[in-house]
Amino acid sequence: MAKGQIFGLVGPNGSGKTTTLKLLLGLVFPTSGTGEVFGYPLGSPIYKERIGFVPEGPYFYDYLNAVELLRFYGSLFGLGGARLQERIESLLKLVGMWDRRDRKVVNYSRGMLQRIGLAQALINEPDLVFMDEPTAGLDPIGAIQIREVIRRLRDDGKTVFLCSHLLKEMEPLCDSVAILNRGVVCRTGTMTELLTGEDSHYVATFRGLAEASLQQLQSLAMSVEQNEEEYTASFRDQSSAVTAAETLAGSGVELVALQPYRLSLEEVFIDAVGGMPQ
Amino acid sequence: MKAIWRIAKATFHEAWRRRFLNGILVFAILIIGSSWTFTYLQPGAELKMLIDTGLGAIRFFGMLIAIFLGVRLIPDELERQTIHTLLAKPVTRVQFMLGKFFGGLATVFTNVALMGITFFIVYAIKAPQFQNAAAEEGPTYSMQFMSANIAKAIGLCFFELAVLLSIAVLASILFSWILASIFSFFIYFVGQMADFLRELASPEHGADPISSIVFNVLYRILPHFEIFDIREKILLDDFVPWGLLRNVTAQAIIYVVVVLMLAYLFFNEREV
Ligand SMILES: Nc1ncnc2c1ncn2[C@@H]1O[C@H](COP(=O)(O)OP(=O)(O)OP(=O)(O)O)[C@@H](O)[C@H]1O
Ligand SMILES: [Mg+2]
Repeated sequence: MAKGQIFGLVGPNGSGKTTTLKLLLGLVFPTSGTGEVFGYPLGSPIYKERIGFVPEGPYFYDYLNAVELLRFYGSLFGLGGARLQERIESLLKLVGMWDRRDRKVVNYSRGMLQRIGLAQALINEPDLVFMDEPTAGLDPIGAIQIREVIRRLRDDGKTVFLCSHLLKEMEPLCDSVAILNRGVVCRTGTMTELLTGEDSHYVATFRGLAEASLQQLQSLAMSVEQNEEEYTASFRDQSSAVTAAETLAGSGVELVALQPYRLSLEEVFIDAVGGMPQ
Repeated sequence: MKAIWRIAKATFHEAWRRRFLNGILVFAILIIGSSWTFTYLQPGAELKMLIDTGLGAIRFFGMLIAIFLGVRLIPDELERQTIHTLLAKPVTRVQFMLGKFFGGLATVFTNVALMGITFFIVYAIKAPQFQNAAAEEGPTYSMQFMSANIAKAIGLCFFELAVLLSIAVLASILFSWILASIFSFFIYFVGQMADFLRELASPEHGADPISSIVFNVLYRILPHFEIFDIREKILLDDFVPWGLLRNVTAQAIIYVVVVLMLAYLFFNEREV
C-alpha cells in the first residue's frame, strides 16, 4: 500500500474484508503466512501507536458520553490534559457530534455510533487509518461529511485503508483498489488502471445528427450506438475523436460529451468476482 | 502499566452497572444486617452464632459475586466487540487481561468491604449485649480481640475470592460463560474438601491405584479453599496468628499468578 493514498478493499459479503482488517490488527491469526505493518509483525503494539481503526458497527463502553469515551481512548495512548481536551473538541466537531457530546453512548443511533467510531480512531493523529464500512448507517449528509474527512486525511499525508462494498462511493474516493473474493485478491491496481481496462479508447456523445452526418460519423468511428436522440461513438484515441467532432460541427451536430472510455467499478467488480450469480 | 490501570478502572465502573451483581450485594447486606434477629436456641451462644452467620454470609455471597463477575469479564468484551477497539490501540493482550482481572478484583474488594462494614455495624451494636449474656456463662474476650480476629477473617476471605476470581477468568477463556460458572463452582466446592480428597487418595481408604492417583493429583492442583476459612479458630476464641495470615495470603497470591499465567497462555492464542 502506498503512503498518502486512499486504498479501497472491496468484495462481496463474507469475502473476508473484515477478517483482513482483524488480521492486520492482530485480533485473529493467519493459518499460514506472515504480515507486517510499518515493518512490525502483525499484532505488535508498536505500530498501533500510529494507526487508527474504525470497526464495522462500532461498540463501546456504553455508560460513557462522547467526551469521556474519547478521553478513555486517548489515555490509552498516554494522552491527557489540555491537549487531549482540545483534540477531543476538534474531533467531535469534525464528526458533527460536538452538540451531542453529553449524551451517553447507550442512547446513540447507529449513525452516531459510526461518527464516534471515526472520532476515536483519529484520537492519536494516526498515520494509517483502517476503516470498515465507515459510512454504513449514516444519513446522506453524514456520508458526505465522512467522505470529506477521509479526503482531508489523505490531503494531510495520511494513508487510509477503506473496506466497503459501496462501489459507487468507493469509485470517486479511492486512489487504488483491491477486489477480494472468497478470501483471495483477484484484481488490484490504481483506480484508473482498473477502470480503463485493457483497451483504452475514447467515447464521444453527439446530438442532432442527420442521416448524412450519421453516415459520416460511422465512417470515422470504430463503432456507433444510438441512445434515443443521442449517438455514442468510440474512437481509437483522443485526436481521432476530436477530428470527428470538428468535422461534424460544420453540419450542426452538437458534441455533448467527450471522455476516455471508463468502465464503472461495478462492472469491473462483477467481472472480477465471476459475473452475476444465476 | 497505565493501560492496565485504565482498563481496570473502566472494568470497575462497568461492573457496578451489572444489576445482577448489585442484587446479590443488596441481598447479602440485608441478610447480614438482619442476622442478629435470627433467634438462637442457646442463650450465651448468640455472639458466636452472629459471627458464624455474618462471616459465612460474606464468604458465600462473595463467592457468588466473584464467580458471576469473573466469568463475564472477558466474554462481555468479546460479545460486544469492545475488545476490537481496545486491542487496536497500543494495548497488549496481557495488559488487557490484567486490566480486566484487577478491575474485577477491585470490584470484589469493594463488595467484600461493604459486606464487612455492614457486619461490623451489626456487631458493634449487638455484641456488647450478647457478650453480657455470654459473660454469665463463662469468661469472655475483649471486643477488640474479637474485632481483630473478624477483620483478619474478612481479609482472608478477600484473598480466597481473588483465587476464585482468577479461576473464573481462566475458565471463561476456555469455555462458554455458563460452563465456566459451573466449572468455577465445582472447583470451589471440591477445593473446600481438599482434606477429604487426600483421605480418598490414601491406600488405607481402600482406593484402587488409579483413583488414588486421580485424587492425589486433584489434591495437589486444586486450591485448598478451606485454609481461608478461620471461623472455627475465631469461634474457639483463638488468636489468629499473623504468621498464618502471611502464609495463606502468600499461597493465594502464588496461586493467582499461576492461574493468570495459564489464562494468558490460552488467551494469547485466542481469536477475538
Ligand atoms: N481467507 C479466509 N480463509 C478462511 N475463512 C475466511 C477467510 N476470509 C474470511 N473468512 C471467513 O469468512 C467469514 C466472513 O468474513 P468477513 O466477516 O471478513 O466478511 P466481510 O467481507 O467483512 O463481509 P461483509 O461485507 O458482510 O462485512 C468469516 O467467518 C471468516 O472467518
Ligand atoms: Mg465486514
